[in-house]
Amino acid sequence: MSLPATSEIHEALIQRAETHLETGERIVARLAIDLDASLHFHGGLIVLTNSRLLHVEATSFHAWPLAEVQDLKLEEMGATAAIHLVQNDSSTWHWRLTSGHLREVEAFIIRFKEQRGLVISDETGDDDDEEIFTAEESAVPHSQGRPLVRLFRFSSKWYKLMLLGFVLTIASTATSLISPWLTMSLVDDVLIPLQSATQEVKVSRVYHFMFMLGGAALLTWVLQWATTYVISRVAEHVTSHMRRMTFEHLQKLSLTYFGKKRTGDLISRIGSDTDNISLFISVDFIDFACDVMTILFTAVILFTIHPVLALAALGPLPIVGWLVQWVRSRLRGGFAAASRAWSAMNSVLSDTIPGVRVVKAFAQEQREIERFREQDQQIFDTNDRVNRTWSFFDPTITLLTDIGLLIVWGVGAYSVAHNSTSVGVLTGFVLYVGRFYGKLDAMSRFVASAQRAASSAHRIFDILDVKPDMPITTGMRKVGRLSGKIEFRDIKFRHGSRQIIRGIDLKIEPGEMIGLVGPSGAGKTTLVNLACRFFDVSEGAVLVDGHDLRDIDVVDYRRNLGLVLQEPYLFFGTIAENIAYGRPEATRAEVIAAAKAARAHDFIMKLPDAYDSMVGERGQQLSGGERQRISIARALLVDPAILILDEATSSVDTETELEIQAALEHLIKGRTTIAIAHRLGTLRRANRLVVIENGVISETGTHEELMNSSGTYARLHQAMVEVNQA
Amino acid sequence: MKLVPHGSELALIDADGVRHEKVRPLRLFPLTEPHHWVSILSETGQELACIEDPATLEADQRQLLDAALAKRHFVPVIRRILAIKRAPDGHDWLVDTDRGATTFRIETDESIHPLGRGRLVIFDKLGTRYLIPKITDLDRQSRRRLERYY
Ligand SMILES: Nc1ncnc2c1ncn2[C@@H]1O[C@H](COP(=O)(O)OP(=O)(O)O)[C@@H](O)[C@H]1O
Ligand SMILES: [Mg+2]
Repeated sequence: MSLPATSEIHEALIQRAETHLETGERIVARLAIDLDASLHFHGGLIVLTNSRLLHVEATSFHAWPLAEVQDLKLEEMGATAAIHLVQNDSSTWHWRLTSGHLREVEAFIIRFKEQRGLVISDETGDDDDEEIFTAEESAVPHSQGRPLVRLFRFSSKWYKLMLLGFVLTIASTATSLISPWLTMSLVDDVLIPLQSATQEVKVSRVYHFMFMLGGAALLTWVLQWATTYVISRVAEHVTSHMRRMTFEHLQKLSLTYFGKKRTGDLISRIGSDTDNISLFISVDFIDFACDVMTILFTAVILFTIHPVLALAALGPLPIVGWLVQWVRSRLRGGFAAASRAWSAMNSVLSDTIPGVRVVKAFAQEQREIERFREQDQQIFDTNDRVNRTWSFFDPTITLLTDIGLLIVWGVGAYSVAHNSTSVGVLTGFVLYVGRFYGKLDAMSRFVASAQRAASSAHRIFDILDVKPDMPITTGMRKVGRLSGKIEFRDIKFRHGSRQIIRGIDLKIEPGEMIGLVGPSGAGKTTLVNLACRFFDVSEGAVLVDGHDLRDIDVVDYRRNLGLVLQEPYLFFGTIAENIAYGRPEATRAEVIAAAKAARAHDFIMKLPDAYDSMVGERGQQLSGGERQRISIARALLVDPAILILDEATSSVDTETELEIQAALEHLIKGRTTIAIAHRLGTLRRANRLVVIENGVISETGTHEELMNSSGTYARLHQAMVEVNQA
Repeated sequence: MKLVPHGSELALIDADGVRHEKVRPLRLFPLTEPHHWVSILSETGQELACIEDPATLEADQRQLLDAALAKRHFVPVIRRILAIKRAPDGHDWLVDTDRGATTFRIETDESIHPLGRGRLVIFDKLGTRYLIPKITDLDRQSRRRLERYY
């Protein structure tokens, strides 16, 4: 395991590079590469200085004067990429690296071109000694700790209640230990004298003992009740706080995160994992605390009564300790697997139930049943595995208890015979020892549930630890109401290693309507997503009213946006609530006005409860066009400065489209509009049409201009006309 | 259809005798069926041909194809898991692969996907894919380490 961390290798290479610098030479940029020519992992460094390009590896070093390097060319090859060193029009050297570093490579190449330009034009006299490095990730190490420790820190907010619970725990444990003590005197001072009839025993003494025993039982009852309640309350506080935190955190995460997650898994984490934690804190944790107390108290009592006997009784203890450790390590993996199995099952459910129409249409019920059965089997198997460990543990502890008792009986009988112990003390002793081992048994249950809680806590912290990759709080400038001027300034964007937007420059004036057309997959949706700042651009900038989107408050900015998507999403609730989603304080009159403008009023009136009709998760009882008109009303109600229509009419029939178009005419008045459409007719009101192909703008102009230039647009138009005639 | 070398790259002469330069092969099932179904793409990304079973090609053709595939194929196969450590945003994996030892970071437990029949693919934070062809073929310690996360 002696693999040095990547950063250490990197540091060493930088130092090596520095030793190769000539006088007056300084580093301008550097780029870490992680593969060799045969695609094996191998750390290397390319360094750009003010006069040369250096390649440093652990054992080799190469250098090229910048004037002799014609170009650096990036070739993307799927999971990896190559950087070619071009000299005299041919590639004379190349480096390979994984595609995750493409952004840094691009930045490096830009720096290279600038620097080479300086060298060629002989501007070596620049003496700004500012070093610019490509962004190197600096991991911010902040300690996280183990899940249970973090869980404890998480709970520390309720320390007063916890303290109370703790005190109550001690008290109730102590009272529960009174009765064996009383039993000892009862046997020695009352029962044995009674039996042997050597002494006169007053009946009142018997009553006295009975009364004391009863009192102790009652006291224990009350105290345990209080303890359980107080601790459960703490547990409820902690888990509800945890659920809320997790949900709040989820809302802050970007679309990229949700793109990667399964809904069922998230639901299972917020639902059943927090439940595991609650159970752990409320039930198992107090049990554990009680048990530890009992064990400590009994140990003390045992030793004060009879040290030798105590020592004998506790003989099997080390074995128990070892067993607990063993079980712990076995259970840890088991519970993690069980939680994941639950998630997987939830995922099947959240996949199949919303998709039930597809399932039925393709007659795949049996296959889904099978898929569910498999997941369920997985839960069965993981639990079964845990139970196997577990079921061995319990009886083993019982056996050890019995051995402990056996030792006590043996040693006890010997000392009673030799008159060093009374029968009463022995009886009390046996009671205490039984209790002692009984508690050890219960502790084993704690071990199991602690492991389960730890793996659940891990799954929750897994969400909480994801840093929002688009910090909502960074850009703090409040913009208020915008006029709606948008500028895409030479933007580029990648999804992972795939370049989607390859350089788009576009200015949109306030109130202008832009139609975006182009083949599917060209990057139209991505472009409007960037305008909404669902993602951040990799290069260039998006400006609204002259402000860089990254500098302004996202929430504030989005209040200026109205978005209508191809697949309108309706939340569970009434139609009125759905229309007023973006402005819940809107009056009824405003809601109706918006619905009327969106041409939704007429069909809403036909619904059984009109505006109060409930629409399901995806509004299934409404047709596509109807849902679309509701979402248009929703956008209309917020009166956005910028309106974005992403194929808002693609999934509806022509007649509905005409309706929707009429609705849209209201909507676009006085706002900046970006509309994406496949049916070019939808865009006839657009001031300008922008054709996007392969992540770049290939044409711009009005319908007539584009038709005359007979480019892509003319072709698309022709194709559409043909389809319509067919 | 015939593949011919074109400098360090590949060219294809199709059934009509037309020569396409700078073509590149692409595995259609890089994770589950890497040795079948190879598509030959033109420079602009259009499919020119699709080979179901490269084993049916003649030896020299096959060699050209394999060489071109090897240049682009990059899915390290994990042989041993040396350690998995918690990191601020995910887990750091320290592994030994068929392409040497390396470390990578994955973001959540869900970056580990089962592909059926004990096969796992792991997506690291930067998008590189790592393959475990069969979990049961890993050594005991590696399996133990994996078990806590998958
Ligand atoms: N979240 C994502 N991750 C990776 N690639 C994506 C993602 N979203 C879209 N893409 C890819 O980006 C390209 C452009 O997509 P998009 O902008 O939706 O196209 P369209 O022009 O049809 O709206 C497509 O090739 C698509 O596969
Ligand atoms: Mg789209």
